[in-house]
Amino acid sequence: MTPAIETVELGKRYGTTWALQDCSVQVPRGRVSALVGPNGAGKTTLLRLLVGLTSPTSGRAEVLGLAPGPSAQFLARIGYLAQEVPLYKRLSADDHLAIGAHLNVNWDASGARERLAALRVPTERPIATLSGGQRAQVPLGLALAKQPQVLLLDEPVAALDPLARREFLASLSEAVAEGDLSVILSSHLLHDLEQICDHVILLASSRTQICDDIDNVLASHRMLLGPRRTVSDTERMFNVIKATHTANQTRLLVHLDGPILDPSWEVSEVSLEEIVLAYMGMDEPVSAGQLLSLRAAS
Amino acid sequence: MNFLVWRLHRHQVYWAAAVLAALTILLIVTGTTMANDYHAFFNNCQATQSCSDAGSHLFRGDGSIIDLVNATVAVPLLFGLFWAAPLVAKEYEEGTHNLAWTQGVTRRHWLSTNVIWVFVAAAVWAGALTVLVSWWHAPENALSGRFNAFDIQGIVPVAYAVFAVALGLAVGSIFRRVLPAIAATLGVFIAVRVVTGVYIRPHFMAAITKILPIPFSNSGAPPGAWTLSGGLVGPNGHFYGNGINLDQVPATCRVGAFGGQGVTPNCLASRGWHQWITFQPAGRFWAFQGIEATIFVLLAIVLVAVAYRMVLRRDA
Repeated sequence: MTPAIETVELGKRYGTTWALQDCSVQVPRGRVSALVGPNGAGKTTLLRLLVGLTSPTSGRAEVLGLAPGPSAQFLARIGYLAQEVPLYKRLSADDHLAIGAHLNVNWDASGARERLAALRVPTERPIATLSGGQRAQVPLGLALAKQPQVLLLDEPVAALDPLARREFLASLSEAVAEGDLSVILSSHLLHDLEQICDHVILLASSRTQICDDIDNVLASHRMLLGPRRTVSDTERMFNVIKATHTANQTRLLVHLDGPILDPSWEVSEVSLEEIVLAYMGMDEPVSAGQLLSLRAAS
Repeated sequence: MNFLVWRLHRHQVYWAAAVLAALTILLIVTGTTMANDYHAFFNNCQATQSCSDAGSHLFRGDGSIIDLVNATVAVPLLFGLFWAAPLVAKEYEEGTHNLAWTQGVTRRHWLSTNVIWVFVAAAVWAGALTVLVSWWHAPENALSGRFNAFDIQGIVPVAYAVFAVALGLAVGSIFRRVLPAIAATLGVFIAVRVVTGVYIRPHFMAAITKILPIPFSNSGAPPGAWTLSGGLVGPNGHFYGNGINLDQVPATCRVGAFGGQGVTPNCLASRGWHQWITFQPAGRFWAFQGIEATIFVLLAIVLVAVAYRMVLRRDA
């Protein structure tokens, strides 16, 4: 089965700056993937490349085996929700649903209406008069009414208060549970993502740092605590993501590729949030080549 | 797609329809009065031998209406400013292109439907208005020729409207912001219209030059012609333009001194002077309309190509 998303050395340059570089990710179908990374890491660029609103400078992308682009066949399968709730402010949610029904072949009008009604979104009033939380539900309703196979959401909860955020994520989880849907959801709010995502893509320094199921990510990272030592000694044994030192202790967040044999380390599990923050704090990205050489050395 | 276009832009259509209806009533009422006055005058002027004074007897007191009718020269521009310039620019500015272009229709389909409708609407409105204005102008055309109101009659207003719309679409898709798009549409439209009207239109076809006897009681151009320039011809056959220096005419024919200098026509005539004029004859009206309309439609085609390129090829 073709993956939901596959990119190979995908890159996008604006002028002389690379917004995204050398991005190779593969997301299997049925995953809800969290796309995380610091500001400017290329999250929005990656999503816009995947939906075909932007074309790549280098590399290639495939969504469900199709190149993103202006074909009706491709457009029918994806749902996209851009960052700033792109709605026609003077039209109502009902108007948007009617427009969607005219522009799409598959359109689940009744499902969308029920979903918005359940959230008590006043669908007959102009979008401009709705609260932020109500407004945010409308594009999600529109995107889901398209019945896409891949749904790309760019910071959908950034502007929402905690309650609205919870409602939004709840309706998203519900939609995912209902059918064959793959989702990529970008956000800064890792805590929210952890509750509904089972896969994570981490972009930092315009490159892919992690792209894996969250379970695997958690299983392959550990925190080591032991007597103080220099990192250069340990780097030969582990792939150190982050090192902190106190007067007599060294604390390392490491990516494992085997058991930890040195008994002087106290080993503990780490949360996804800690792992992600550690990667974001890195100056130099860890490349696959580097990982291999470390493995060989140990 | 048609549904989306209608749903988003129907208020613009309502407004345009209301304005056109108001203008229609006004012009039909005043136009009918004018036509009646015109016929009444020419039925009676034979008896009083005052037919040559028609210009001073007719259309007095209609000043504000005439101003209004002349102001319709700006209508094609309005389509560019308020319909076409924001059409794509507003989508970009408000981010709604992200929604529109990720639905089940391709960007090209979206653009084509919008482009077709805005052109159809502008052409229909401009066409209706032009038919109305041309009808209203008929009595005045009969007196002073259609070239006097070239820009608001015939087919060129429709071509201007098509051009203004194409211009608005192109700059809207280049700037992606409503206000800069409107400003650029305004500036470029006026510039192109002025350059064409002042510098290019007189040369669409070779003008006719005639040498006529003095005096100046009539301009010498045939009725309804578009007079481009004129002046005096000396006995040696030299053409003098409007900037003729009084030193160049025989001293005996000069009258007045300093402030009110001039020449006596009869004196010049008796010394072998003539006058000359260049003009475009009235019969070329439709040829000129055709040439001017073609120029603006060709410009519009280029601009639409630019708009397509900007929307389809550039990153959204």
